Amino acid sequence: MSMNAPTMPTQEPMQPMSNSPMEEKESAWQDTWRALLRHRSAMIGGIIILFFIFIAVVAPLLLPFGYNQIDADSRLQAPSADHWFGTDDLGRDIFARVIYGARISLWVGFFAITGSIVAGSLLGLIAGFYGGWRDVIISRLFDILLAFPGILLAIAIVAMLGPGLENAMYAIAIINIPTFGRLMRSRVLAVKQEDFVMAALAIGMKNSRILLRHVLPNSWTPIMVQGTLGFATAVLEAAALGFIGLGAQPPEPEWGKMLSDSRSFIQSAPWTMIFPGLAIMFTVLGFNLLGDGLRDILDPRMKQ
Amino acid sequence: MRFKKNWILLFAFAFMLSTVLAGCGGKNADSGKTLIFGRGADSPKLDPAIVTDGESFRVTENIMETLVDYDKTTTNVKPGLAESWEKSKDGKTWTFHLRKGVKFHDGTQFNADAVVWNFERWMNRKDLPKKGDDFIYYGSMFGGFKGDKGHVIDSVKALDEYTVQFRLKKPQGPFLANLGMSPFAIASPKAVEKDPAEFARHPVGTGPFKFESWKKGDSISVVKNENYWQKGLPKLDKIIFKSIPDNSARLTALQSGDIDLMDGLNPDDAKTVEQNDQLQLFKRPPMNVGYLAFNMEKKPFDNKKVRLAINHAVNKEGLIKSFYADLAEPAKNPMPPSIWGYNDKVKEYDYDLTKAKQLLKEAGYEKGFKVEFWAMPEPRPYMPDGKKIAEYIQADLKKIGIDAKIVSPEWQTYLEKTQKGEHEMALLGWTGDNGDPDNFLYVLLDKDNTRIPAQNVAFYKSDKLHDVLIKAQQETDKKKRTELYEKAQEIIHEDAPWVPMVYATPPLAAQSYVKGYVPHPKGTESLENVDIVK
Repeated sequence: MSMNAPTMPTQEPMQPMSNSPMEEKESAWQDTWRALLRHRSAMIGGIIILFFIFIAVVAPLLLPFGYNQIDADSRLQAPSADHWFGTDDLGRDIFARVIYGARISLWVGFFAITGSIVAGSLLGLIAGFYGGWRDVIISRLFDILLAFPGILLAIAIVAMLGPGLENAMYAIAIINIPTFGRLMRSRVLAVKQEDFVMAALAIGMKNSRILLRHVLPNSWTPIMVQGTLGFATAVLEAAALGFIGLGAQPPEPEWGKMLSDSRSFIQSAPWTMIFPGLAIMFTVLGFNLLGDGLRDILDPRMKQ
Repeated sequence: MRFKKNWILLFAFAFMLSTVLAGCGGKNADSGKTLIFGRGADSPKLDPAIVTDGESFRVTENIMETLVDYDKTTTNVKPGLAESWEKSKDGKTWTFHLRKGVKFHDGTQFNADAVVWNFERWMNRKDLPKKGDDFIYYGSMFGGFKGDKGHVIDSVKALDEYTVQFRLKKPQGPFLANLGMSPFAIASPKAVEKDPAEFARHPVGTGPFKFESWKKGDSISVVKNENYWQKGLPKLDKIIFKSIPDNSARLTALQSGDIDLMDGLNPDDAKTVEQNDQLQLFKRPPMNVGYLAFNMEKKPFDNKKVRLAINHAVNKEGLIKSFYADLAEPAKNPMPPSIWGYNDKVKEYDYDLTKAKQLLKEAGYEKGFKVEFWAMPEPRPYMPDGKKIAEYIQADLKKIGIDAKIVSPEWQTYLEKTQKGEHEMALLGWTGDNGDPDNFLYVLLDKDNTRIPAQNVAFYKSDKLHDVLIKAQQETDKKKRTELYEKAQEIIHEDAPWVPMVYATPPLAAQSYVKGYVPHPKGTESLENVDIVK
């Protein structure tokens, strides 16, 4: 970890008031970046994630098999040179399905978490900054959402909207809103007391400008860390919904669904569940490692 | 040190004692031959007259018997509780001579009055266990109930203590075969009259086994009827019907010796069973059909060309290879070849995607369409994995431009909603109960059966077919009936309300020490001849 990192947005918020704010920001970014490169487990996590993103984007172009190419003659074949991960009970290439599955899982994770970050942060900002009745309503709303076990709430939401990948994504986004909302609210409550916010208020700056220019930039780091960790949870939740048949619908090659489809072949064709299982494991591991690393780097307390 | 030694001795003694005692327990259980039958679901109710499902019949067939019985592997009729029978020339009067000296499990005598009482119970709809129950199967096999226009049975009379006479309003071809069906098993009048609701939980009949206990959702036990009229039977002392919903979990239970015999083996696991010396594989003779029904009341399935196109787009051979481990035959008629009257001259719609595309184009759906495709959520004997089968067909439909979305609600809901016609196209199947073509063609495709709740989920309403089927029902000459049913199959093939997909041979597995088990084509059987020889 960096020994003498000079400026962090959270630490010395008054700094950007100096005459060259762009330079300062850049150096903060660079500093974080350098710390990240030096953080071993975060690097490993990052590489895993980049790898999955890479295969999701590029590899479908190179694959000899489509993910839904059914071939009754070559069903349940063990891994071989033709089929690297073997074939499933419909004779589809599991390698192709796992790779297309990466697209689905990353896509669901990204949009679900972006959705909950946007909604959660907005609600958290309002609750924390304005307080009063707004805070009461929003905080109780978070409490209600948190009162349900996450996956149960997701099942209920999907049951209402109807099974499907998109609806599963909405459900995951909704159940993660309170996590980000509360985090943002607590940050805002702290930042609100800082001198520079007071000063801005004193010179009569508009609330919206204070929120966007001063409060938000000084509260976003924990959200970013939580977002990375939340990504992992979202991938798992999508797989869980897929497993019980509420997420991705056939023939979409979603990892959780592949797992549940292969249950009856645990004994006779274990590869049908090993590879999608490994894919889920590595993706989640990657995001968790990166998230932990980011927390170490960005948390000012951990730095000293 | 001595103290320690004593403790060791005490432990050793306790260990030996417990081993010996446990050994004794095991021996006792062995000498009282108990068979544990593993199956997919518990019985809903145990009064066979008010149910239509196999899991109920599987148990009640061992407790209650019918007037006539079926041969071991066919549906040829043989004597049951009736030793012999005659039919009048006009086919309207049937006289049955009952077996003497048969007693119900509650000690009351089986006689003509008991038979008459049972039939009057059904046709007058009295002594129903609870509100909402009905004698469904009686209604659909004998044209309704007393007072209905189509009701076939005019009267049932006891001529003397052991002779019963049925007078029919009109001749009914499948009458005798119908009497052998499990729902028409003779119950002890005394037991039903005492408390019909209790009877549906604790059936009393004349069968080889007596009801013992029922743990709801888990198991049902029946014990040997010492006074059974067939000497030397049953061979077992006790049967426990245990429900284990998951097919692979049930196989694991069999492999570990927790159960002795199992229904609903995954076709893929048949090989595993065959290779295992401790186990034996059984194949149930096929008397079923798995099909895809189009809802002809909904667009675009009112268009025959669309239905034909999909008929050409289903790769039956591929399906059989993928899901049935070759334990099935491709279907072309709505009833299997094991039933007489099967029309082998019908020419199957072959798997040909170009033709399918062409037909869609002619129908005006060149760009295809979107459709909801219903698939059953649970393994059935005629379709081991409905959702996967749907996924397989989905890929081919996509190639001809049809975008199918697979829908798979829970099983009870699935049946209720398809019977109401909420589906667009749906996978379903049927196992015959009495071996008569009427039990397939009339039940599943006649316009009479499109009233909701419909058995005819294609909502196929053909007057031409209706005329032929009714004529065949009233005809008693088998040769003429055969001709009529062959004609009926041609009409159905021409109109294509279904894609007939497979005739499956459901595999079963048992421990190698289970002897004398013969699976019956109708899907369930009485187990009086089964034995355990270790």
